[in-house]
Amino acid sequence: MFSPPLHRQRHQFVVDFVNKNKPQKVADLGCSECTLLMKLKFHRDIELLVGVDIDGAKLKKKWQGLGPLSTDYLQPSYYQLRIELYQGSVTQKDARLRGFDLVTSVELIEHLTLADLGQFSDVVFGYMIPAVAIISTPNAEFNTLLPGLTGFRHHDHKFEWTRAEFQSWALGVALQYGYEVEFTGVGPAPLGQQDAVGFCTQIGVFRRLRQRPSCRAVFGVDVEELFSYELLYSITYPSLRDNNTLRKFLVAEVLCFAEELKQRWMEERMAASDGSLLQTEGGAEAHQAASGQRVEARENPTACGPEDENLMGQRGLGLFMTQEEANQGAQEESPSVHRFVAVPLASLWTSPKVSALSGSLRNLRHFLMEEPTVRLSQDGSAVMLKEEDLDEGSFHAEDGDYGEANQCSQPPEQGEEWEASV
Amino acid sequence: MDPNIPRKHSFMTGVPFLGRGRALQPQELALGRSRVLPATEAPRVGLARGFLPSDNTPPGRGVTLPVSQTVFGRARGLLSQLDVGEVAGRARGLLLPSLEPQVGLARGTLLTSLEPPPGRTPGSGATAQKPTETPSTKEVDLPDNDGTLVSMMRGIGVDPSMATWGRGNIPLGRGPAVDAGTVTIQAAPVGVTSNLESFGKPEEVMGRGSSFGARGLSLQTMAGLGRAAPPQLGPGRGRAVLCSLPQSPVKSSPVVAVEQQTALSVTSSATAPKPLELPASEPEDTAVKTEVVRESLNKTGTKGCPIEIASNHVPICCQNKAVYQYHVTFSPNVESMGMRFGMMKEHRPTTGEVVAFDGSILYLPMKLDDVALKSVRLTDQEEIQIQIRMTKILPPSSDLCLPFYNVVVRRVMKMLGLKLVGRNHYNPESAVILGKHRLQVWPGYATCIKHTDGGLYFCVDVSHKVLRNDSVLDVMNVLFQESKQNFHDECAKELVGSIVITRYNNRTYRIDDIEWDKSPNDTFPLMDGTKTTFVDYYHKNYGITIKEMNQPLLVHRPKERSKPGGKQIITGEILIVPELSFLTGIPEKMKSNMKLMKDLTMHINASSEQHTQSIGKLLKNISTKPECVKEFGRWGLKISSEILLMKGRTLPMENICMKSSSFSSGTDGRWSNKVVRDASISSVPLNNWAIFYAQRCAAEAEELSNVFIKLSGPMGVKVGRPRLVPMKNDYTDTYVKSIHAQVTSEPDLQLVVCIVTGNRDDLYGAIKKLCCVQNPIPSQVVNVRTISQPQKLKSVAQMILLQINGKLGGELWTVNVPLKLLMVVGVDVHHDATKRNRSVMGFVASMNSALTRWYSRVTFQGPGQEVIDGFRECFVEALRQYYEVNHSFPEKIVVYRDGVSEGQVAMVEQFEIPQLIKCFQNIGNYEPKMVFILVQKRINTTLYTRVSNTFSTPPPGTILDHTLTKRDWVDFYLLAHSIRHGCGVPTHYICLYNTVNLPVDHLQRLTFKMCHLYWNFPGTVRVPAPCKYAHKLAYLAGQYLRAQPALQLADKLFFL
Repeated sequence: MFSPPLHRQRHQFVVDFVNKNKPQKVADLGCSECTLLMKLKFHRDIELLVGVDIDGAKLKKKWQGLGPLSTDYLQPSYYQLRIELYQGSVTQKDARLRGFDLVTSVELIEHLTLADLGQFSDVVFGYMIPAVAIISTPNAEFNTLLPGLTGFRHHDHKFEWTRAEFQSWALGVALQYGYEVEFTGVGPAPLGQQDAVGFCTQIGVFRRLRQRPSCRAVFGVDVEELFSYELLYSITYPSLRDNNTLRKFLVAEVLCFAEELKQRWMEERMAASDGSLLQTEGGAEAHQAASGQRVEARENPTACGPEDENLMGQRGLGLFMTQEEANQGAQEESPSVHRFVAVPLASLWTSPKVSALSGSLRNLRHFLMEEPTVRLSQDGSAVMLKEEDLDEGSFHAEDGDYGEANQCSQPPEQGEEWEASV
Repeated sequence: MDPNIPRKHSFMTGVPFLGRGRALQPQELALGRSRVLPATEAPRVGLARGFLPSDNTPPGRGVTLPVSQTVFGRARGLLSQLDVGEVAGRARGLLLPSLEPQVGLARGTLLTSLEPPPGRTPGSGATAQKPTETPSTKEVDLPDNDGTLVSMMRGIGVDPSMATWGRGNIPLGRGPAVDAGTVTIQAAPVGVTSNLESFGKPEEVMGRGSSFGARGLSLQTMAGLGRAAPPQLGPGRGRAVLCSLPQSPVKSSPVVAVEQQTALSVTSSATAPKPLELPASEPEDTAVKTEVVRESLNKTGTKGCPIEIASNHVPICCQNKAVYQYHVTFSPNVESMGMRFGMMKEHRPTTGEVVAFDGSILYLPMKLDDVALKSVRLTDQEEIQIQIRMTKILPPSSDLCLPFYNVVVRRVMKMLGLKLVGRNHYNPESAVILGKHRLQVWPGYATCIKHTDGGLYFCVDVSHKVLRNDSVLDVMNVLFQESKQNFHDECAKELVGSIVITRYNNRTYRIDDIEWDKSPNDTFPLMDGTKTTFVDYYHKNYGITIKEMNQPLLVHRPKERSKPGGKQIITGEILIVPELSFLTGIPEKMKSNMKLMKDLTMHINASSEQHTQSIGKLLKNISTKPECVKEFGRWGLKISSEILLMKGRTLPMENICMKSSSFSSGTDGRWSNKVVRDASISSVPLNNWAIFYAQRCAAEAEELSNVFIKLSGPMGVKVGRPRLVPMKNDYTDTYVKSIHAQVTSEPDLQLVVCIVTGNRDDLYGAIKKLCCVQNPIPSQVVNVRTISQPQKLKSVAQMILLQINGKLGGELWTVNVPLKLLMVVGVDVHHDATKRNRSVMGFVASMNSALTRWYSRVTFQGPGQEVIDGFRECFVEALRQYYEVNHSFPEKIVVYRDGVSEGQVAMVEQFEIPQLIKCFQNIGNYEPKMVFILVQKRINTTLYTRVSNTFSTPPPGTILDHTLTKRDWVDFYLLAHSIRHGCGVPTHYICLYNTVNLPVDHLQRLTFKMCHLYWNFPGTVRVPAPCKYAHKLAYLAGQYLRAQPALQLADKLFFL
């Protein structure tokens, strides 16, 4: 009869409200199988999303769907979201639900007896005291338009109100607890009957008045801390506001970009040296050539400091070669292992991703200093990368066929073992 | 049968059905099995020794196919189809799935009944409701009135107490009447069967011990009695298999074919069961039957030293006695599956909370007496009667239960907070970020519940998922920077075939195409018919703002499949926004990056110890989470806290034979240092060869040729000075032109060696294409990187020299295989990941008894083409070649067939093997014996060995041939290679056909021997060398050549 179906329209009403008003803490009372929460979890202005229902089994049914998606871990956002599910009755108080920006109860109150309804208003408006409450309930006047309906729309309904009944209850509550209320609805009546019948679902949007008459302290110290709900589920979404996550991703980004810069720099260097040197025969010569290069390269960072960023890309990347003194004597066999390429933090800073993640150069340095997998130069101004030893990745002819012994889902097929073509 | 359906349904054509019968006699543990297989082609094929030429059976007449033979392993009377009408191909191989056998317990407590075929509409199923019909009758409508049917039954019998076994094949054919076309066939399962009325007789049969009687239970409303034919007696223990076919309502006489087969060891006296008279009517109350767990085939060998083995399987204890299967009928019929589910849901108070329901078949862990329920259809207020009738009592380990057990497993994995990516579950919380490569590695598990010979197991494989940090859009941007001209092509190359996951759901999609003409601003229709743009849709539903408007869309084309239970078919494309999707898996480009792969494998290749620890962690997580334990408990499952421990064997080491010496393969299965100390069996003198290199690699080229000459003496190869061909640059074109010029000007040239720099796939491909297709000549490509280290040069050059010798037709080493006139065949298939190119089958066959000469062929298959077409062609060619070399045909042929997916096993058995056998016919008077073994490398079974409470990888040659083996096959797991990193994934071998009568021990050892013969690696390899060669050949042909290599090279291992 309605398109989209009415229950979706009700949820969309809440979603639209959230989009517009951007509340940070949202609770859904009587959330059942968490359908509304599942829609709301994508709206990342929300930081805390809570669902309450008296039926724990129903809550459990779909709650896995509330967890983060795989991609939330791949690229965490800056938004922070925590979802909690409670089993409990809306006629009881729980301190964890106080001070929300938005509390919704979609098609809930008609399931309460009138006595419970009084309790409910006291709990929601007198105890939770949300900034906004959205309460929806069937409009009994519309029932005549529903084909084949006798009695209530659902066998568990304790009452179904006309617009006048709902409004008088709502206004009473609003007056009592210091709220203003606005009436609307979803599921309009057929053309021409809107005034006579109203919406199929009537909705009251309650807003707390700034000047509250009965201004008990919102989170008064005198109010006892009540925990009558049982926490069934809680999940925190990965977020870049979490320092560990942030560092992990920043470091990954830095290493990746540093490696890229190094690669570019080495290629430029190779291109330059190809002109002067013909063919490097053995390790010794290459070493010498590199040392000579090192002197040249050393001059570069001063020549193109951070003040001259345009030049960075063209003339040089500000990288230079360095060596670890301590280890040099020990292993003359493979001198290249201990040579490093220094990538100044200032160069790294040019990556938009790095700068966005770290915020400032100081932060960047700070983060990297704490990270054991990153090697910084002594003054902390550059990231030290091992000079790629071309032969480091080479393989022993023997190991060739064992590549496929791997356990990964797509075993990497290695190239021919003796015929080093790939 | 549904009362609403007119009776004429039963006058339709009967169909052969798959029946599987077994009987379990408590004292004797005798069991039998039968199978009915339909065939497609008219010629009849007897797969056992007697190979029968095709003939057309006169309609209406019975045919008897007696095939008898002594077989170890499995014999099979391959069935055929009788072409009855004049029209060939009229026959239809109809197979009704899962008709369960009748099973009788010795004491006659037997219940027989019919299991309604799942998925059938109530209207045509449920014949058992008619008291006059036999429980095992199936009737289906056929479009034409005369059907021709043949069914074949295969029976097996096992007497575990004697440790001998055998399997009988019963080809059972029937020629139905042509004129009438109403046939009902009933194939009775082999097995000890008894029923209330004929109770005495079966008992008598069983009294003789290990004998089997099989009967066709046939009841006809009109004709009545079925007939039973007495079996032929074979030597040894007699096993009588009786089958009978009912008479069809029209005049046609049934055909009975009985084949009898004996077990290997001839022990007890033969017993001939008496033909059983069938009761004229079946009691009505035998509607429920009990499925009993079958005993496993005898497939255990004895050779080798015992070793304690553990596996990644966790025993499951079934606490419930049974799972009950019910048939649910809605009357009047309810078409909508959703409505059926809804109505069943209303009756949870009756059925309990634990249900598995597919729309018509219902499984419950508890017993319900037949119940009739009522529901009201909401659409029209009509009252619907729901009848729930028990059809079967299943053991909790029944295969029918596995699907919903696996649902339980998935639910539990979710409860543990693991994320589903593709089919496996991963833990992103403990992801390893490989920053340098913009990759993440997520640890996780691939889990399932399996039923093997040892019972029910929870199989946990440690799995790792590699994911990209970047969205597909980021990847595209990088590609754009790199190549602006070929951007579209580059994107297609990089992306098509990859799997992506999206930002807004947890699904994975395979990219099949890129839609360059679309953008997120384009619209698509919603369910309700309205149209919306991608931008709006994602903003409205997921709060996601698409930033880049100028991006193409990715296309995913789902495979055609119907929604569960419904008729609706999912088709059409799915469009995905690159910005909102992430690539999974290792990027193609990075696979050639040694450093990256090293980094990756470090994380991915968990050792046995890490493996067992991580499995242990999962088991602990499950057992400490009450809701997980409860979830399993709903079906009475209890997961053990320890992985499975059992006894395996390590096969003896093999002797590697070279020209003048032989040595043991060693405990680590490697002989790289020994192989260069002695001369190869035969070497081709290398007098006339050339090295091609770019000018800058002159020194390396010179050095390499010097080293070759220096090393050649001790290795027994004669190597002359090469022609050095320097080139001014290293462009692909330069190489191709130089080589072409050299080869054409010097027809005697034996070998082309190319020294190349960097990872040059295109160059490699061009060289190989030239040297394998256009100007056939053995070629060797060497990367300058591998020979530029002086300290490693010697060992690298030795290996290259061996490889070159192999390519030229030299023989490096062998092992002794004590089988005369043997031909070993290896087959593998290479599929292109992007699905753009044709699949390639590589085929390799041995040409001499030392297994040192190989003949190779390649065939390409177009989409939808079966492997077998090319296979047969290669096979005939190889036989011809063998004859030319040896002046006789091979007496025994062993085929190792790789590249078969799990679902294709039956296809291979039913079609591929008969087709191969058909090849022999083309050669007059030639009946070789054959073994056909499937090779499966990608399995999720891992083996560990336990030494003083720590787990490590088992040594090469470890065999496991029980407990984890498949119930339906003779199979074994062999870990042939030695493992330095990672853990031990064995290769699974399934022997589908064995007329050589190779005992299990020999089968296993032959396979292990074959793993020693791969000349590119002086050590044991995972799969038999012929498979490995076939793999390498198929890869080369599919990846680089994209064409048939020149036939001149077919007798050499040019692809090494």
